[in-house]
Order: sequence, then structure tokens, then C-alpha cells
Amino acid sequence: MSYRDFLPEGCPPDAAEEIGTEQIVFRLVRTDPPTAQDFLSQRQEKPERVFAGVSECEARGLSVFAERRDAEAKALKLPHLKNRKICRVLLPAGAGRIQQTFQPSHHTWWPLAAFDIQAHCGVGTA
Amino acid sequence: MKTIRHTTTLFYYDGPQVFEARDGIGGHYIAVLVEPQDGLDSYLVAGVAPERLRQFRAGTLDLRTLLTEGGAEEWYLARGADLEQPLALVPQTVPLAGSGFLPDAGFVLHDRPAEELALREARERNNLVLEIAAEPPEAAEEHRIRVGTLIGLLGHVQMMIKHAYGAALRTLSPDDRRAIDKTDAHMMDVVIPAAAGSFRVVLEAAKTPDLLGQSELARALRRVDELFENAGSPEQTLATVKAHRGHLAGAYLRLLRFLAQHKTGLRYSWAEPGFTKPNCRAVAEVEVGPLVDVLSGISNLGGEAVTLVGEFEKVNRGTGAWGLLTAEGLYSGKVREGGPSLDGLKVGGRYKFSCVEEIEEVEGTGREQHTFYLTEHEPA
Repeated sequence: MSYRDFLPEGCPPDAAEEIGTEQIVFRLVRTDPPTAQDFLSQRQEKPERVFAGVSECEARGLSVFAERRDAEAKALKLPHLKNRKICRVLLPAGAGRIQQTFQPSHHTWWPLAAFDIQAHCGVGTA
Repeated sequence: MKTIRHTTTLFYYDGPQVFEARDGIGGHYIAVLVEPQDGLDSYLVAGVAPERLRQFRAGTLDLRTLLTEGGAEEWYLARGADLEQPLALVPQTVPLAGSGFLPDAGFVLHDRPAEELALREARERNNLVLEIAAEPPEAAEEHRIRVGTLIGLLGHVQMMIKHAYGAALRTLSPDDRRAIDKTDAHMMDVVIPAAAGSFRVVLEAAKTPDLLGQSELARALRRVDELFENAGSPEQTLATVKAHRGHLAGAYLRLLRFLAQHKTGLRYSWAEPGFTKPNCRAVAEVEVGPLVDVLSGISNLGGEAVTLVGEFEKVNRGTGAWGLLTAEGLYSGKVREGGPSLDGLKVGGRYKFSCVEEIEEVEGTGREQHTFYLTEHEPA
């Protein structure tokens, strides 16, 4: 299996679930429609950065919320994220692997290279 | 110039958005990611009172209020690309309220306040918390417990968690096991020795959570939950305990015997900061006896197979006691009646000993005594 980003050995971790049934997650994007820039991992965006308390595997995944409310009531209130838009992403079987990390609704998603994220992402859709 | 160090990420989205930090003399700070400046990540930072920080962690205080109060007299900006290094604080002169950096009102870490003690404490302490409650006869009329009962209860609970953690680790892949810092990961500290209500004690994981905000101890407590899942049904519990044969099952049975001896049931609940409700289990006093009866009938319930390789060191043909010097040190063991003969083994010779390791409680001390019973041997 080939992932969108180069992943270190042991990444995604065993605890990450392979997406086998369709599920909906929410990602914050800068523009409507979203661009490829909206789906870069932290490592792709900031190659030199050292993240405290974040593994290299985490840094190479994408943050998404399982609950829309957490994006609205929490993330969009923060100064760095307040101008973002909420994109509803449909994850069909084969979209990669996903694991709950950090706060309850937050998940880290490691998309497969073959998965077309933009085709499955809609801003403003419920 | 004053510097701070990142200690705990409280809200994560493509990197730490809100985190706690400490300065060189232990002062508490809250930092929030704002728009980058000169290409570097930039953080709004304010010193905060520990009590207000505790309320923010618990979800009862919003971030804007926390920052506004903390930054009323002094607030800072800090820039850096490496959060593992100290961040230099640059004092700002404009009032924080007019800076444009504040988050909107209403950002709280948890939407619903925690009503349960374990969850509330987990959030406030930002760590895994376990609450245990016992009701021995002396606690019926007032908030009281015998010293020996309390010591024994805590000792048995800690030992069961230790063995549950060991069992959980064995199911991980070698890579995952290597990636975990297991040092003292099973240890718990008593943080509230006598909470209100029937005799309740609150314990906190001795170690802080991992990079993802999760405690290693959760692995152990999920296993313990399985053992207590059907405490009212000895048959179902028997099946579960058989699936957990080994030191964990042995520790569970010793705890049950202790509860029977002290005429008490046990309730517990545990939570991590990210939980929405705690995991709760219980065994009533009337359920303890039948469980002890059914589990005591299984032979070798608490034994675990162990292979030792080393030099044959000593033998006592009268008692069947033997010693084997391995790379990890000298192991002593016994041969049960009807077990393999030690005749013909040469002191100084190298052998592989297949053993069953059993644990017994040293009466009244809460300590464990490990005994290795030889089942097979062969030259190594």
C-alpha cells in the first residue's frame, strides 16, 4: 500500500483502523473549493519544523474531526483557524487508515496515494 | 529574557494549537497559535493561575477568559519552529483585548462538565485517574477503614494492574513494544486518600500521558474491566479468567480472596481526560464468594510458562530446590513431587529449564513471592 506522504517504519501504527466502511469526517480548509494545499501533512507544509509531543508519524497524517460540532465550536474559534471553512470528507473503503488521537473527536488520517481527496470533499455540505 | 517550555498539548489540529508551558521557576502559562510572523509559528502567551488553568482543563472556563485574565497586566508573543526548545517571551505593550490575537469566546475543552469524580479529576489533572471504593463493615457507620484493609486493598489493586499491563504488552508487536517507555508505566499514586462517600480512594497514573494524550495504564485497565465485566455470573467470569490465565488471573483471584476475607465488595471507575464518561465496574460483597469458589477450582490458574537458560548452580536433592545462573541473574526454583529428576545434572553445566512461574502473596505484607517450578530440562 502506498500512502500520500512518505511514512516512517511502523506508521500508521497498528492501532490505526483501516477504513473498510464508508465514514464522514470534517477537515478545515482555506478555500472553497479546496485545493491540494489544504490536504498537505504538517511535514509537507513545514519540512524543518520540530513538533513537541508529536511523533513523525502524526506529523505525516492529516487532522480531521469525527464531529462537525468540534470543528465549529472549538477549532473555528481559535485565532489561527478562525478563517477556515469546514469541508465534509466522505471516506469510502480504501481511503487509508485512521486513528483517534489527542482530544476525543480528533482523528489522524493517513490517506492512500490513490485516493482523490478533493473529489470526496465538499464545503458547505451538511 | 524569560523563556517557557512546552509541557502539554491541550488542543491539536495539524499541530499543537493550544498548549500548556512552564517557565524556569515553575510558573504556568497558556499558549495559543496565532498567524505566523516572518515565516515562523507564533504564539500568544499569558501567565495563568494554577486554579484557573485547572478550571480550563476541566472544561468550566473558556480560553478567551483564561487568556484575558492572565494577560491583563502582561502578555507575550513567542516565535519558534521547534517546540522542544525553550520559547523566548517578548512582552507586548498594547492591551491584549485590542491585539486581534484572542480566540473567540466560547472555546472550552469539554462541552459537558464531568459529574463523575474520576472523569473530573482526570480532566483537571490531565492524566488517567482511577477511583476505587470499598465498603468493609467498619465503613458502614462512618468514614473509616482498617489500616490493614486499606493497605491490602491498594496493594492488591496495584499488583493486578501491574500484571494486567504485562499481559497487555505481550499482545503488542515487538516494534510497538519497543516504542513504548515502559519504565514504571504500571505505577499509580494515591492523590486523594479518602474522598467523601463510602470509603473512596483516588489514584492517578504515576507517569504523564504519552504523545497522544493517552496513558499506558489504559491498556491495563481495559483488561481489568474484562475481568469485572460479569462479576454477577461466576460461569461467565470463569470463561474470561481462563482466557487471561497467568499472573493477571492469579492477581485477580488474590484480590477476590482479600475482598472475601475483609467482607467487602469493590467498585471502581477510571477515566482519561478525553473520555466523555468513565468506565465503571463493580463486584458486590455477595458476588465475591461464588467467584472465589469457582476460580479456586482451576489448577495452575496463575502460572505462566517461563524458559530459563544458564549454568546449573546448585541443587538440594532433599527439597528439590535448584539454582540456575542466567544472564539476568540467579534464579532459584523447586521441583514438585512427581516432577523431573535432577539426577545427572552437572553443577556448572549449561541447561535450558522449562518452568511454570507461580506467584503467591506473602501473608500480611502485600508482597509477591515468585516461585519457579521445573517441568522439563535439557542441555543448552
